[in-house]
Amino acid sequence: MSANPLLTPIFPAGKEPLPPGVTEEERDAYLQGKKYQEYMAMGAESCVAKTMLAGGMGFGIGAFFSLMSASFAYEDPLLRQTTGNLSRTQKASEIFKDMGKGMWRSGKGFGKVGALFAGIECVIESYRAKNDIVNPVVAGFLAGGVLARNAGPKAAFGGGIAFAAFSAAIDLFMKHESSDED
Amino acid sequence: MSFLGRSGPPSGSVNPERVEMAMQELDMITDVFNRLVSSCHNKCVSARYAEGDLSKGESVCIDRCVSKFFEVNKKVGEKLQSMGAGQSGGSQSAFGSL
Repeated sequence: MSANPLLTPIFPAGKEPLPPGVTEEERDAYLQGKKYQEYMAMGAESCVAKTMLAGGMGFGIGAFFSLMSASFAYEDPLLRQTTGNLSRTQKASEIFKDMGKGMWRSGKGFGKVGALFAGIECVIESYRAKNDIVNPVVAGFLAGGVLARNAGPKAAFGGGIAFAAFSAAIDLFMKHESSDED
Repeated sequence: MSFLGRSGPPSGSVNPERVEMAMQELDMITDVFNRLVSSCHNKCVSARYAEGDLSKGESVCIDRCVSKFFEVNKKVGEKLQSMGAGQSGGSQSAFGSL
């Protein structure tokens, strides 16, 4: 029964082997620490945490894209007339404020998309207890429908189909196993 | 399994019958564990995958598979005992205690 990987590792209760570097007196503290670590891992894999993470990443991506597109924005001549009398620092702060508002708006939009999709997919996957291509397709359809709900039923349906196809493509790309002969 | 000093074998120190029973119970627990791992792996983990970590669906499936396995075990053990397996059911009732 000595470390054969096919045999069940059974030890008398309370006498499980400790990893090297942990003494017997620290056993309680080590077990406590391991328990909290398991709780943290469980929390990090929960649906709520995944939704928040996806929302945060979506917000970041949206803000980044808005920032990049702001550097290509051409100047508005009407705006120059209305703000032509301000000093340089005031004009600069106006521009930065507009950039910040744009970043916030775009980040909110992307964040909503990401959080909605990730939350719905996590709930569906927890319910079905299966990991296949159906989960992201249905989640994409529902997320697209929710995002386009204000534009009428046909537009919501079309948006759902489009987002479902997009998320299926992304998922197939992510799960594509590279061949073993590289 | 500690010897209590040198004062000969007091009652319950090294009882060959108990040792035999303990060994049998250990073998049974090992068997249950191996069957459980094998059957839940076949049910929950698909043949094609791209990463080593368990996905959310797979870990939910394994949780459900393990509790269902033990429920089935318990029910079958109860039925076996009610059928009056008697003495031979004594060692198999270890399943029912899980």
